[in-house]
Amino acid sequence: MIKYILRRVLLLIPVLIGVSFIVFSMMHFAPGDPARTMLGETATQDQIDQLRDELGLNDPFLIQYGRYITNVVVNQDLGRSYVSKRPVANEILTRYPNTLKLAGLGIGLAMLIGIPVGIISATKQYSWLDNITMFFALVGVSMPVFWQGILLILLFSVTLRWLPSSGFDTWQQMIMPAFALGTGSMAVIARMTRSSMLEVYRQDYIRTARSKGLGEWLVINRHALRNALIPVVTVIGLQFGFLLGGAVLTESIFSINGVGRLMVESIQRRDMMIVQGGVLVFAFTFSVINLGVDILYAFLDPRIRAQYK
Amino acid sequence: MKKKLLLLVSLLLAFTLALSGCAPKQDDTPAKDKLIVGMGADAASLDPHATNDQPSSRVARQIYDTLIVQTESLELLPGLAVSWEQVDDLTFEFKLKEGVKFHNGEVLTANDVVFTLKRALQSAFIGHIVGAIDPEGIVAVDANTVRISTKQPFAPLLTHLAHPATAILNEKAVNEGGEDYGQKPVGTGPFKFVEWVSGDSITLERNDDYHGTAPALKTVVFRILTDNTTRTIELETGGVDIAYDIQPNDVSRVESDPNLTLLRDANLATTYIGFNVEKEPFDDVRVRQAINLAIDMEAVVNLVYRGVGAPAKGPLGPNVFGANLDLEAYNKDIEAAKALLAEAGFPDGFTTTLWTNENQQRMDIAEIVQDQLAEVGIVVTIEIVEWTKYLADTAAGEHDMFILGWTTVTADADYGLYALFHSSAKGTAGNRTFYGNDEVDRLLDLGRTTADQNARLAAYREAQEIIRDDAPWIFTWTGENLAGTHKSVRGFVQHPAGHHRLATVSFGE
Repeated sequence: MIKYILRRVLLLIPVLIGVSFIVFSMMHFAPGDPARTMLGETATQDQIDQLRDELGLNDPFLIQYGRYITNVVVNQDLGRSYVSKRPVANEILTRYPNTLKLAGLGIGLAMLIGIPVGIISATKQYSWLDNITMFFALVGVSMPVFWQGILLILLFSVTLRWLPSSGFDTWQQMIMPAFALGTGSMAVIARMTRSSMLEVYRQDYIRTARSKGLGEWLVINRHALRNALIPVVTVIGLQFGFLLGGAVLTESIFSINGVGRLMVESIQRRDMMIVQGGVLVFAFTFSVINLGVDILYAFLDPRIRAQYK
Repeated sequence: MKKKLLLLVSLLLAFTLALSGCAPKQDDTPAKDKLIVGMGADAASLDPHATNDQPSSRVARQIYDTLIVQTESLELLPGLAVSWEQVDDLTFEFKLKEGVKFHNGEVLTANDVVFTLKRALQSAFIGHIVGAIDPEGIVAVDANTVRISTKQPFAPLLTHLAHPATAILNEKAVNEGGEDYGQKPVGTGPFKFVEWVSGDSITLERNDDYHGTAPALKTVVFRILTDNTTRTIELETGGVDIAYDIQPNDVSRVESDPNLTLLRDANLATTYIGFNVEKEPFDDVRVRQAINLAIDMEAVVNLVYRGVGAPAKGPLGPNVFGANLDLEAYNKDIEAAKALLAEAGFPDGFTTTLWTNENQQRMDIAEIVQDQLAEVGIVVTIEIVEWTKYLADTAAGEHDMFILGWTTVTADADYGLYALFHSSAKGTAGNRTFYGNDEVDRLLDLGRTTADQNARLAAYREAQEIIRDDAPWIFTWTGENLAGTHKSVRGFVQHPAGHHRLATVSFGE
């Protein structure tokens, strides 16, 4: 098991280098010159050339990438922003906790509501309760984050004045963003839990448990749920990755100072250093979570654990 | 099972009820001296030479002073320079105010001015503001006297020295700050820099040693609220006292709120659709005039900008020095347009392309123009081009028609006309229509070099008349600055260039 984890951790290195190379080339070959973007329409060709030179943009692609990756690996330095000249690591690290907190709260809320709803739906399949919750789950999946965010703000901030519409310091400020971000995952988790539960329900051991005379609650809790949750865990892991992406929109709407918003702004400004750094951090986070899910899997499912013995 | 569900529901209810008791508290202490401003983007750098973006100027303006102050009514008043006189055709001499201290305690001297301007000339960002100055011509005569010469006679120099990009820096502070100077600026202005939480807020506090009238406010916080709707909502809910750049579709919301005031003032921005006058069929002035006659600009203003701003009659906005307000607008006249097209050899119109970058308002304008030109048989294909490719390709003259904006940041006609219509500025320098007219060149040169303001005015009036008739542009729109404030905010006046001064702001009842 330890060996397995170690191997997975080491695999992160080529993954991250690969990701950085892909992003670097995409940003390099996509139209959009950072110098021209920063200088705007009043710039003369001389000024553009001067700034390109200062930023080292006139060097060949491989030299630029080589310089970047050497600096990252050897000096653990992500470079400085083209625009603000601040160290990229600082820019990202000050915002990273907000993004993680947002995604974490989103997924937490999604699990807290999604799993019970899925269980209830499955146990009362085709009842009115099932129909209603699955209807809302469908709405939840279909509703874009930015639209839902605006609706929440209109209701709770503008009309009722219960919650502040921006910022991310107090729990009042966190509710709406977490909810807006989590709704989609909540719905996915609820639907996954429901279908997984229904499948388990049809298994022989459930019939055995019932025929032993166990109460329905015990059957659900001890026999059905434990097995039904295994695929749900995978979905939750994947959803967390999606939430990191969804955080980009949520952060913009609720003016949360997170990595996602920083990335969007930096892409618009062609601030490649920040985009690079941000992608690396996202790729790292996603890989670590994936790894976590795989390990959790082994703990939940004795069959998988057995493979590593 | 039912019990658990009941528990869950009651918990949820309790949660909701708890929320209603915890609404954010409104600050209603009587002696309020902290102003919170909502701004749409973070500053890039507070080193005036390291950027030329509006959010940075909006903050830097409070921290630094310029030699000359351009007021909200665009008058030039003494700033760090108490007086100035023209020594010869090329040179101005400035007397500095004495006893002015930087925020780090250093005393302002002529050396700081020399250092600042020489440094500014090295910057790739602000060449359009300081480019006329001769690097060898910046001289400290004594501790409080500076001479600044230009390479050629340059009448609008004083307005350029009032631009925030030429704010005076302290040599010692810049050297100490090194690469991080833009994050810890030191000026002589009414507010001192305190803290910058990147992407979130910038905090300033009153400079108690300010050499002018000290501000009533103790603290100014710029909050970065990138989403336009959120910014308006924060204004409504009391999260900010002033919100910059209210969007046209939020105008009625702010206007109808009894606690808020909407400020609307003409700014220095104009939007235009340029022709490539070196390319057929736009090399024929009749075609260009016909297109101007085929378009109803009221529709553009009403549909795209929801009534904000005004249709442009000429190349300059109304409050630019030298703007000719008597120009006759091209009003929509389909018959006249058709007649001109027929005369030019296009009785059935032609096919062409219109470029825009990915800017919603410009894309909307493009569609309206496409629709209206169809009436005279001109079939327009709209192409949306990535911004930097757009700038590069229009500078290279690869376009037929394109939409772009221009802000005359110095509020002087020279800045609004020379780069756009002088034949020496074709291409990257700003003249993307490749327009050239000897008489216009002569008038723009005259306006740039003569010190006599009346002669300048006359030259610019005439140049605008010729440009209007030559029609290298479809004159489209002139803009407005929109800001929303709380009713309790006093003394806030928008600057047409957008970098509003906050030293005069206070709170009332």
